[in-house]
Amino acid sequence: MGRQQGWFALILALTIASGALLANYGLQLGLDLRGGSQLTLQVMPAGAITRVDTEQLEAVKDVLERRINGLGVAESTLQAVGSDQLVLQLPGEQDPSQAARVLGSTALLEFRAQKPGTEQEMQGLLGLKRQAESVLRSKRPPIALDDPTATPPPPPSSLSAEDLAKALTSLGIKVPAGASEVDQLELLLRETNRRILALYGPPLITGKDLTSAGRQQQATGTGWEVTLGFNREGGEKFAALTQSIAGTNRVLGIVLDGRSISEASVGEQFKVAGITGGSASITGNFSAEEARDLEVQLRGGSLPLPVKIVEVRTVGPSLGAENIRSSLVAGLSGLALVAVFMAVVYRLPGMVAVVALSLYALFNLAIYALIPVTLTLPGIAGFILSVGMAVDANVLIFERIKEELRAGNTLIRSIDTGFSLALSSIIDGHVTGLISCAALFFLGTGLVKGFAVTLAIGLVLSLFTALTCTRTLLRLLMSYPALRRPTYFLPARQLPPARTAAAQPGVA
Amino acid sequence: MTAMTSPPAPSPRFRISRHRRLAWVGSILACSLSVLGLALCWLNPSIGAPLRPGLDFTGGTQVQVERDCSPCKPVTAAEVREGLAALALPSPEGEVAPSLGSASVQVLDGGRSLLLRLPALDADQSKAVIDDLATRVGPLLSSGTSVNTIGPTLGSRLLQGSLVSLLVSFAGIAVYITFSYSGIFAGLALLCLAHDVLITCGLFAWLGLLQGIEVDSLFAVSLITVAGYSVTDTVVVYDRIREQRRTLGDLPLVEQVDVAVDATLTRSLYTSFTTLLPLVALIFFGGSTLFWFAVALTVGIAVGSWSSIGLAPTLLPVFSKR
Repeated sequence: MGRQQGWFALILALTIASGALLANYGLQLGLDLRGGSQLTLQVMPAGAITRVDTEQLEAVKDVLERRINGLGVAESTLQAVGSDQLVLQLPGEQDPSQAARVLGSTALLEFRAQKPGTEQEMQGLLGLKRQAESVLRSKRPPIALDDPTATPPPPPSSLSAEDLAKALTSLGIKVPAGASEVDQLELLLRETNRRILALYGPPLITGKDLTSAGRQQQATGTGWEVTLGFNREGGEKFAALTQSIAGTNRVLGIVLDGRSISEASVGEQFKVAGITGGSASITGNFSAEEARDLEVQLRGGSLPLPVKIVEVRTVGPSLGAENIRSSLVAGLSGLALVAVFMAVVYRLPGMVAVVALSLYALFNLAIYALIPVTLTLPGIAGFILSVGMAVDANVLIFERIKEELRAGNTLIRSIDTGFSLALSSIIDGHVTGLISCAALFFLGTGLVKGFAVTLAIGLVLSLFTALTCTRTLLRLLMSYPALRRPTYFLPARQLPPARTAAAQPGVA
Repeated sequence: MTAMTSPPAPSPRFRISRHRRLAWVGSILACSLSVLGLALCWLNPSIGAPLRPGLDFTGGTQVQVERDCSPCKPVTAAEVREGLAALALPSPEGEVAPSLGSASVQVLDGGRSLLLRLPALDADQSKAVIDDLATRVGPLLSSGTSVNTIGPTLGSRLLQGSLVSLLVSFAGIAVYITFSYSGIFAGLALLCLAHDVLITCGLFAWLGLLQGIEVDSLFAVSLITVAGYSVTDTVVVYDRIREQRRTLGDLPLVEQVDVAVDATLTRSLYTSFTTLLPLVALIFFGGSTLFWFAVALTVGIAVGSWSSIGLAPTLLPVFSKR
């Protein structure tokens, strides 16, 4: 009996600890249960790198973390998943478009000087580009104005259908049949950008030479500009670069992610020393939002490898709340029915099993809080199924106990034999379950993983509760002679006739 | 088959061997129906796969919005589709925005919410779609909006990951049973498992054909669960046969199987019943997200119970003779 009491003390201690743990830490709910946005970013191999390894993934993660901090989103988490993916969770965020914009681009900033002898071609291209841009801007659905007092943009310089067609053919662009005017303008922009880039020399200054980035409203006009601060070396390079093109008709190109975002000429007065002082600004006619995005990106640094947003999931909080409530109701009502079933079919041990299974549920939740496991819908499903397995273990044991009693064994012996005979099938079932969980966890993707984790925890715990909790509680009850009646285990008519008579005085 | 043997053989109340032909015919029938459903799905030009793949596997954007009104002005799917086709989406410079002409629109809950299936959109574009919907059928409940975008490469990776993990877990289970029982036991356990998974898939193939039900990654999870459950169920009967070898080893295998099935029958039925209880509760009370998941599990577990009683044990004597 001493051993039983030891086990009982352990179970009691675990129960109290679990309760305390749950009260203090609570459960972490997944975004599908509480609402929010989740973005999955795929790190793409580029250049000489054909496979993304952990080190590169970490480097990308560092930059993205700095950008997220720049955005000032509360409670966000960024986790590496597998070898080349990152998952960003933004609880409560309903509109992930800003985060997607800021995180999705590489933000590789380059300063390049135009090659000599290309002045005329550049002028033509820039003219086309400006025209296409302003027409496009007027065609786009108006994005909410950042500043209500801002004057509306000037009427677009016209680019008639005829001129557009002429420009397209002069650049050698084949327009697919049925392309809208907007599509044609986009094609034109893409081609002019490609040609402008070809006229630039190699990058002389990059985002690595920056120490700071900021934004301010342009002194003239309504747009915003992004200000840059160079480090010492960058400042020197910038001075040399501006000096080399000062007073010529060549431009300084600012290129972001392979797109020329700003082209500036440098005045005659900088012929001697170039633009010194270690700072510059990009006037790309940005909106306030665009300027802020670029500022955050430049501050966080450029990504060592490009990323692509492969998944965006947004769940509204009310959808989440409804899901959690109905799943909870379903789970609890199902379990209540199971409890009634167990008590009716298995009588006294059935009730013991209900207590053991309640403890099982409590331990499960405590482990979720401890690890912590983020509860998602598939996770809840895994939990419900593991409860099914835990019940199965009890059913196996009790059926064996009944068999032993029918065969005419004494109560205590039947209980012991029942447990030991059921053991092998319980272990086989749980081991095969755990093998599946391992395969799912190591090979499956996010959703499947969550399911595998809760099911595996459930299986391991179910071994413990079925073999320890149920057994200890049952043995403890059997130390009370009043409870030692075979009829508390199965209907009297199923007992062999000899036993029913002998059972009355309470045989140990 | 029923020859009297010297030791007083326990006489099972229920002899599975008397019903085995019925069990086999039923299973063959169900499997044929499932294969037929899968084949019809594959041949159907609008599906082109054994099961109708959902957003998780095809990639794309799914937008769900809830309208803030009661009662709501009626809205038809065609109306919404027309509006979408006319919408000009913002696109990153130099790229052409996807066309929304091919969007599928479902009107749910008597016009209270809309479910849109679109080509993969970026965050700005899906915001534009929601803003457009707000002006057309609004006001919308911002807390009832959900947007899911899955890139096409992610979809195929998900599918691949699910299949690989399924096959690896099969292999792992087979190895375990081979070591703790024997190769024939393992082979039959896998056969039953394939039977259960096939019938579950078959049901969803028919549902996809007739009701347009799609399979998502939760469905993959349910298949894996059905597989695991099927093996657990089968192993209990096998465990009993192995245990009886000492006492009943002289009896013909058919008799041994009958005794083992009879002894474990109550347990098998009770366990299936108690596992099905929470699942049925999920079907009736659970959220819409888990409905088809619970259906798949319920069918799979019921079939798994059938195969572990009617197939795995009764096939054992047939294959052991050789």
